[in-house]
Amino acid sequence: MRPISSALDTTARGVPLPDRPPRHLPGEAGIWLFICGDLLVFSLFFVTFLYYRGQELALFRAARLHLDQGLGALNTLFMLSSSWFVASGVRAVRGGAARMAPYCFALAWACGCGFGVVKFFEYRAKIRAGITLNTNDFYMYYYMFTGIHFMHVLIGMGVLAFLTRYTWRGACDARKIRNIESGASFWHVVDLLWIVLFALLYLIP
Amino acid sequence: MDRARGAERDYVNTRHQILCVWSGVLCPIVMFTGLWPMAGFFPPHHPTASAADIAAIYQQGTSGIRLGMIFIMLAGALNVPFVAAIAAQMLRIESGRTPVLSMTQLGAGAAGALLFIIPALIWTAAAFRPDRPADITLALNDIGWISFVMPFTLAVVQNCAIGLAIVSDRNAQPVFPRWLGFFNFWVVLLFLPGGLLTFFKTGPFAWNGLLAFWVPATVFGAWYFVMAAFVIKAARQQAA
Repeated sequence: MRPISSALDTTARGVPLPDRPPRHLPGEAGIWLFICGDLLVFSLFFVTFLYYRGQELALFRAARLHLDQGLGALNTLFMLSSSWFVASGVRAVRGGAARMAPYCFALAWACGCGFGVVKFFEYRAKIRAGITLNTNDFYMYYYMFTGIHFMHVLIGMGVLAFLTRYTWRGACDARKIRNIESGASFWHVVDLLWIVLFALLYLIP
Repeated sequence: MDRARGAERDYVNTRHQILCVWSGVLCPIVMFTGLWPMAGFFPPHHPTASAADIAAIYQQGTSGIRLGMIFIMLAGALNVPFVAAIAAQMLRIESGRTPVLSMTQLGAGAAGALLFIIPALIWTAAAFRPDRPADITLALNDIGWISFVMPFTLAVVQNCAIGLAIVSDRNAQPVFPRWLGFFNFWVVLLFLPGGLLTFFKTGPFAWNGLLAFWVPATVFGAWYFVMAAFVIKAARQQAA
């Protein structure tokens, strides 16, 4: 338990509150600076998208219908599953079942691969149908945002591959757990961003 | 006697380091001075502007553009001492290791200085004969803007090297705070949208757009001041 969290969980008289567990920030503080910064950038992307969507509402509505919602949903499933595997891996490391962890991270990595394969076929179908990032404003955002998100997926898969190797030998000390949590937090953000992108590009009627 | 000389050397060295850092603080200021009040290139020209419009800009503001470009070239050169000051502190992180990250940072940063100088030279050429056929001036103006806003790759490598070094610091008293490493990684993300500006002439990803120009330019400017503050701090800590 760290001094700050224990200070937060005591009353003014110094009596510990029994029902409130000590606060815990997963990973290190620096990764949260990065994550908040990343979310800030994507928020700006989303606001930009919604602003220009408001300007050309009819075009955006019509263009959206050409997206394959089935593939989008499949990718959402891949992302959610991978996040679940990552969370299971972190729980395994914390709970002393550390030998399970590398399998969890490897499965999460495999989900990331699945996401990439689906994305490849989705982009290919679009390009074959003659839809590129210059077709109209909707597809400009579609390619740019999903492309930048896909770079996050690739970086995240590098992180997951590292975590698989990192947890291979089993037992983890506090410093290792902190690093694992940092990597896992990043992957959850990749998942979160996809869910917002999916809603924004594929679902809003 | 020897100790006194040693102390003197440390003092002089810190002073030189701080001098190099101030060069980095001046860099964005000098560049902005050249770009905005002198050349009038701020906000950027519209990528959709006609050849006649662009030629008129060079015909009316010829002297200001010629003068402003000298400032931008100076700003490019001011990068070099700053990059060296960052490298000097990174070498402390990598002491006892093979200093590949410091060298990567130095190489990418020094080459990056040319990315200020080359566009300034191209714009200078555009302002050299403002009465030539407008289409040629338009082409030169395009080359200038594209080479000014688009090349993000060196900055990506430079910032990744800085970030990786900071995060891997094993000193009992770290040279830089760890969050500064993650800040450098974050700046990398902001450079990415500019890389695809050739596909667009309007909207947020064009060379005058929100996500290709305004956001990266603001954060890149701020990056100099943030890094400068912490390199000075690290240099003082080194002398202590």
